[in-house]
Amino acid sequence: MANNSQLIHLKIVTPRGIFLEDDVSELVAPGKDGDFGVLIGHTPFISSVRPGILKIFKNDKPELYSLMNGFVMVDVDMVRIFTEIIERPDDIDLKRAERAKERAEKRLLEKREDTDLRRAEAALKRSIARIQISEAGFH
Amino acid sequence: MASLKELKERIGSVISTRQVTSAMKMVSAAKLRKAQQLILRARPYSDELNLFLNSLASRNRRQLHPLLHEIDDDEVKNVGLIVVTADKGLCGAFNMNIINRAEDYLQHHKDKNVDLICVGKKGFDYFRRLNMKIEAYYVELFNKLKFEHSIDIMHLVTDKFVSRKYDKVLIVYNEFKSAIQQNIVLKQLLPIIGLKEDKDERLAAYLFEPSPEEVLDELIKEHLDVQIWRVLLESSSAEQGARMVAMDAATDNADEMINDLTLEYHHLRQSKITTEIIEVCSGAEGLQ
Repeated sequence: MANNSQLIHLKIVTPRGIFLEDDVSELVAPGKDGDFGVLIGHTPFISSVRPGILKIFKNDKPELYSLMNGFVMVDVDMVRIFTEIIERPDDIDLKRAERAKERAEKRLLEKREDTDLRRAEAALKRSIARIQISEAGFH
Repeated sequence: MASLKELKERIGSVISTRQVTSAMKMVSAAKLRKAQQLILRARPYSDELNLFLNSLASRNRRQLHPLLHEIDDDEVKNVGLIVVTADKGLCGAFNMNIINRAEDYLQHHKDKNVDLICVGKKGFDYFRRLNMKIEAYYVELFNKLKFEHSIDIMHLVTDKFVSRKYDKVLIVYNEFKSAIQQNIVLKQLLPIIGLKEDKDERLAAYLFEPSPEEVLDELIKEHLDVQIWRVLLESSSAEQGARMVAMDAATDNADEMINDLTLEYHHLRQSKITTEIIEVCSGAEGLQ
């Protein structure tokens, strides 16, 4: 049994309300400069997030979520994640994500004048993150 | 004077209209509650974000960030004006108030080049009929508001602002005061103003990944997203409130009309009966 003092208080806040509030033993988040793990007693820091997978460990069993953007605020015994879009693997429509990926790739390749490259790129990253998490969720 | 049959038909049609308006009133009441819940749920996020942003912007030299960079009013040449109306009518002066406010702004700033960005079908239809140049439009979104809508709008205006196509971005919308009252608000979205100086040292203990500037950049964008999201929610609440009031008045009017028409109907029916009795009586008298 995990000791209570070994747990980090995790709070995920979105514009649609508090998505999740729980005590967890460990989490791994997709930071802008690479994934990072957080255990209790971590140095306080704030990191922005790239689209990717957020892993939460509760009793050694990982839970996966896909994170699109936002940032993570780490305190010694508490982690707050502010994000606009976070999804559970079950909520992701794999086919739709794949279609979105194709669309974004096409847009990036064609490089037509009126395409907004930054948006296409962001869409591509989002769809890749969605596909990743959805595939990971099935194993 | 209308015939009995005509009157009866009119009463029937007013009754069915009354049914529609009173149903719409109830639907609006339910939708209003839903929209207000969304506003409440957005609050913790936007409050925390604001605190965070104030504190981080105070620590950084704010002029460094393009979205915080203010310029003098006489240097402003290109303005993006986001006009938030409803997708549907039947909500009193709700849409017209906004359109008038936008027109008023256009009148007073003829020296500037103002681009319109229409959110909501009513405003879009109005300005399109006038053949005005519309930079972008978002319609049919209020039925099922998604956060992605605000992200889209944010991307559009920040891109234009950063590439210096716009010197200023404004948004005009109905603010929800109470179910029976809306305020028309014209607010500056970009450059961001009104950040409070916050010398709070809470953030001093934190390290920033990858750097404070990048976190600030991310923060500013999310702040904008939330601002736009709140505007959309406010406008949608206000719309439902306005519709509730309009439909309530319409239902009352229908009631009054039904009463008047029914009275007239009875009157006519009674006088018809009276005439018939007189005819019968005088006919009988003639026989004697």
